[in-house]
Amino acid sequence: MDYEFAYSFKKPQLTNNWILDMNPLSKLNLLIILFIIPITVQSWKWNVMIIIFYFLVALVAGCFKRFTRLYLRFGLMVGLLLFVLRALFIPGENLLYKLWFINITQEGVDSGLQFSTLVVAICGAIILYSIVTRAKDFMYMIEKLGASRVISYVILSSFQSIIDLGEMSKVILDSQRARGIETEGNIRQRIKAFIPILGPLFLGAISNAEEKAIAMDARAFSMPIKNTHLCHLRSLPVGEKAILIAANIAFIGFVVWRLMA
Amino acid sequence: MSYIELKQVSYQYPLASEWALNDVTYSFEKGKLYGIIGANRGGKTTLCNLVRGFIPHFYQGELMGQVLIEGKDIREWENHQLSTEIGYIFQNPFSQISGVKETVFEEIALGLENLGVDKDEMIERTIQVVKWLKLEDLIKKNPNNLSGGQRQRVAFASIIVMNHDILVIDEPTSQLDPSSTAEVFEIIHMLKEQKKTILLVEHKVELIAEYADEVLVFEKGQIASYGSPADILSRKDLMERGISIPSVALLGHEMREKNMAMDSIPITKSQALEQILKGGKNDD
Repeated sequence: MDYEFAYSFKKPQLTNNWILDMNPLSKLNLLIILFIIPITVQSWKWNVMIIIFYFLVALVAGCFKRFTRLYLRFGLMVGLLLFVLRALFIPGENLLYKLWFINITQEGVDSGLQFSTLVVAICGAIILYSIVTRAKDFMYMIEKLGASRVISYVILSSFQSIIDLGEMSKVILDSQRARGIETEGNIRQRIKAFIPILGPLFLGAISNAEEKAIAMDARAFSMPIKNTHLCHLRSLPVGEKAILIAANIAFIGFVVWRLMA
Repeated sequence: MSYIELKQVSYQYPLASEWALNDVTYSFEKGKLYGIIGANRGGKTTLCNLVRGFIPHFYQGELMGQVLIEGKDIREWENHQLSTEIGYIFQNPFSQISGVKETVFEEIALGLENLGVDKDEMIERTIQVVKWLKLEDLIKKNPNNLSGGQRQRVAFASIIVMNHDILVIDEPTSQLDPSSTAEVFEIIHMLKEQKKTILLVEHKVELIAEYADEVLVFEKGQIASYGSPADILSRKDLMERGISIPSVALLGHEMREKNMAMDSIPITKSQALEQILKGGKNDD
């Protein structure tokens, strides 16, 4: 029996990485600041600096690979698409290149750069937060602030349900394949194979949800008392409080300076 | 002493045309293990849902008669009260995992969190159950990544830690391989030794023969027969009704048909061995 592990729940479970161990609400506060700065500044250079800053934070938090993989897949892909669309179709006076009916203008490129880096910077704040914050820590804090455990359970189990649905769809596709139905090939073939599984997939999910609701009830989920927690978070360290206060003051100062300018 | 009492109970699920239970009367005593067998759609799971109070608290439908738990009608029990009185282990090991805990240790403690148990006691009780069910190797693992058998053992632990006096166990091994089935029955055996009142629905009659104090046969929503495992599971006519009997009992019947001396039809391996040895000694 690993008693050290079992008794580790008596203390806050720390990772010894100061970013990961920060209170989820403190991290949220800092990331909201990073979220708002690009909107306030309206400059692609600032946006790029913030994006680089995200990578640095992910590096320090030890989540660089995970963050980069996710960020490249979602944030940067969306950013690239937005840039191309804006650069190709925003009209302007300074023509840079003409291709058939498409006029690429300096104004289009500037607008594309500004808008795409803004979206990428905002996406980055959300992705970074989801990477450096454990969902259960966030929900613990939300419960401490007065949210019901039903809400926190629904949110947390929704994440798992997405994974479960993915796994179930793989199982159904495998069984389809075993029956000789073509599930691979070009996009059209894949869509053709995927549409028929949607029925069993969602009916199965509904049935599982009912079973899970009863199973949770069997574990006293409907008890009308204040629940306790096996895991808890440490109280806010003085250093973290100081960082938060400084960051918020600096942010307010920055916004005022921008408004004055 | 009757612990759970059913008096002329009938139940029909919403939109169903047939009664799932039809005029069932039976008393379950404290500290006994009841094996519940029967063909599919016989009413076994409905009985479990009724005793645990999922009927009428979760499933609506028409309920007639009385279900008394410790003398109090099931309709008068609040659902949350029942969750502290009666533990329920389900057939499907996959739907019993909460999906919100990162380790098996946390998963087992979830019920205690819901009961508002303080942290120190929660840890001690969880450790105790982990040791008791020999789950030490799993405690750090993510419950969502476990095999069916491992999940079912964790599901048992998650209910056992809540320390109910009554346990309703609905086909716990139906999706498990033989080795996981043996592990689950080892747990059930330990619970029986703790004098828990257990209602166990199970198709593996060899295991019912080994562990049950009483056996109930359900057929078309009614109790078709009940009695001791020796009385019920030795009856060959059960097979005509789609219910299997232990293979040693079948062997006993065949030996008897071939005029071989048998005091009684054995239902467990040890009883069969005893009979064979006895026969051998008589021949000498």
